[in-house]
Order: sequence, then C-alpha cells, then structure tokens
Amino acid sequence: MAKQEWRLLLTGDMSAFDNMALDEAILRCAVAGASPSTLRFYGWKPSAVSIGYFQGIEQEVDLDVCREQGVDVIRRLTGGGAVFHEHGSEITYSLAVKDDYPGIPKKVLDSYTLLCAGLVAGFRQLGLDAEFKPINDILVNGKKISGNAQTRRFGGILQHGTLLCDVNLQLMFSLLKVPSEKIRDKLIAGVEERVTSIRREIGMADNDVVIQAMVAGFAEVLDIRLSPGTVSDEELALLERVKEERYANPTWNFKR
Amino acid sequence: MPIQPGISNADVRFGDYKAIGGKLLRVRMTVTADNSPVIQTLRITGDFFMHPEEAIEDLEQLLTGAPLDETALRERVQTFFAGDVQVVGADVSDFVTALLKAV
Repeated sequence: MAKQEWRLLLTGDMSAFDNMALDEAILRCAVAGASPSTLRFYGWKPSAVSIGYFQGIEQEVDLDVCREQGVDVIRRLTGGGAVFHEHGSEITYSLAVKDDYPGIPKKVLDSYTLLCAGLVAGFRQLGLDAEFKPINDILVNGKKISGNAQTRRFGGILQHGTLLCDVNLQLMFSLLKVPSEKIRDKLIAGVEERVTSIRREIGMADNDVVIQAMVAGFAEVLDIRLSPGTVSDEELALLERVKEERYANPTWNFKR
Repeated sequence: MPIQPGISNADVRFGDYKAIGGKLLRVRMTVTADNSPVIQTLRITGDFFMHPEEAIEDLEQLLTGAPLDETALRERVQTFFAGDVQVVGADVSDFVTALLKAV
C-alpha cells in the first residue's frame, strides 16, 4: 500500500497567540478534510509561558514578572503542565489528524506511546538514547528532554510538545510560581537533575538538524511520507477567528 | 483574590495532592457554614488530562452540594468517571484524596 502523504509545515517563530490559534486551525481543517494530516514545527517570539487547560493561571504563573520580562502567557487547548517556551531555546512540534486515522489507538495513553515513538526515533537519529516515559515525557539518560500534550476534539487528535534545545532554569523559575521563595534554589537544583537539553547532551542544537531528525522519526514510525507545504487561506482565516475567541482573549486565559 | 464575589479568602480551603506516578491535583473550595456543611464552590486545577476537557466543569458541578465525607465524595467522583470521559494522570481515589485534603 502506498504511504499516507502528510503535510510538513515549518512556520518559524510566531507569537504565543498565533501559535496556539494555528494549531487549532490546522486541527479543525484536518478534521473537515480541508487540510491533510499535518506535522508542524515552530518557535515562539516573544518567549512565552503556556499553561495546561486545567491549570490556574495565577496559581502557576508570576504574571508581574512575565510582564516585566516581556513574556506572553497563554492557556493551551491541551491539558498538562506549564511550559516555558524560550525564544531560540526550544522547538515545538504539533501533529494534527482525524481521530479515526488508521493505527492511532483510541486510548489516549496508548496514543502517546505511538506518537512519542516518532520523537524517540528522531532523538535516536541525533545519537541520543531516548525513551518514552509514560504518561507524556521523553527522557534521555533518565532526564526529561521533551514534554507532550494531547487533546481530542472536533473529531480529531492534536498533540503538541516541546523539544528542549537549551534550558534556562533560573529564568524559567522566575516566571513560574514556586511553593515558597525559600525553596526556590533547592527546587531549581532538583529540576536541574531531572531535565536535560539537546545541547547539553550532544553539544549542538541546530534547529534544522533537529527538525530533520524528528521528521525522519515520525516518517519511520507512522510509515508516512512528509511533503513540505504551506498554511492555507482557510487556516489563516480560522487562526484569526480562534485567536480572537480564545487565545488572545483574557476570558479564555483567565478562565481557571 | 476571592474566587467569587462576597466570599472572603478566609473561607477558601485548599488541598494539593500529587497522584503517585501521575499528576498534581489542586483543589480550591468553599463550604457552607452550617452544622452539616456541603461544598459551596469548587475549582479543581492541575496538570492532569481529561478528555473531553470541558467535562471538568461537569465534575465540579457534580461535587457542588456534596457533603464533606469520603463516601459521598467518592460516590460522586465514581459516577463522573463512569461516564463518557477519559482521565489521564489521576484516578478516582486521587481526586477523592485531593478533595479530602481541602476538607
């Protein structure tokens, strides 16, 4: 059987609001059959903190420090934890397919295993001994290098996640709320032990090289062919709509 | 900031619970001030996953008005889990434990 053809989108750096709105627009269009199944890679400019669907924005994020640092804050469509998307220090991917796409398990936990296997294969292409750690993490040498989150809605599956190229824990923990100031340094030391980055592991983190490795990883695991494409006019129009309705809207971002 | 107008911070109860091998559940609740108190307002936040996501509001609704005892809370959480929802990173007992921590 011929391999399924997917679209590969490289959209570069965009704002948090455009990034999250585009992920939703792609998902909706993929479900409607207006867009092919899509794998997208992108960056964040300016840097931003994204929080999970169920998180309390004021519980998790120091909004004053974010404002001072010019860091945007946004609520995702997906659950999971707060992520600091530092401009230039991480690559985000997103994957959107119909929920009846052949071979994708109905059970969310099982589908993480499958989709994260694409990333694991990608990290291995980079020479990293990566492993999937349920529920939604990828580890290298026992340390987290990627976190992932999924939603199922509109009749589709959207999974997005972060690939750490560099880590700046001092900055990250100044933006996120910690249980108490007293333990901030101890907390950072603890996370330092549990988190790594591509640069730390292999001394380089060239975006193009990392993305090409991940593309090869997904192509292998999902048995697909990825062809570079562009964002459609319909997706762009939808992006503007859902950005206004949701992602750039305080009612959405502050709803919890 | 009060979670609802007219309710002072002093009435708000908090409970955090990290599920073993799973996610963090954070509970914020107010209870009625009578002899057999029940949950008046409830917010469950955290880094867990629930599909569909909007179902969290059903769970909060279902628990509003519940007496503050383990059996009653467990029964309601179980009813919710038995519905058409997938929760990832926390189970029935984890939610009950988090709720009891706030009680």
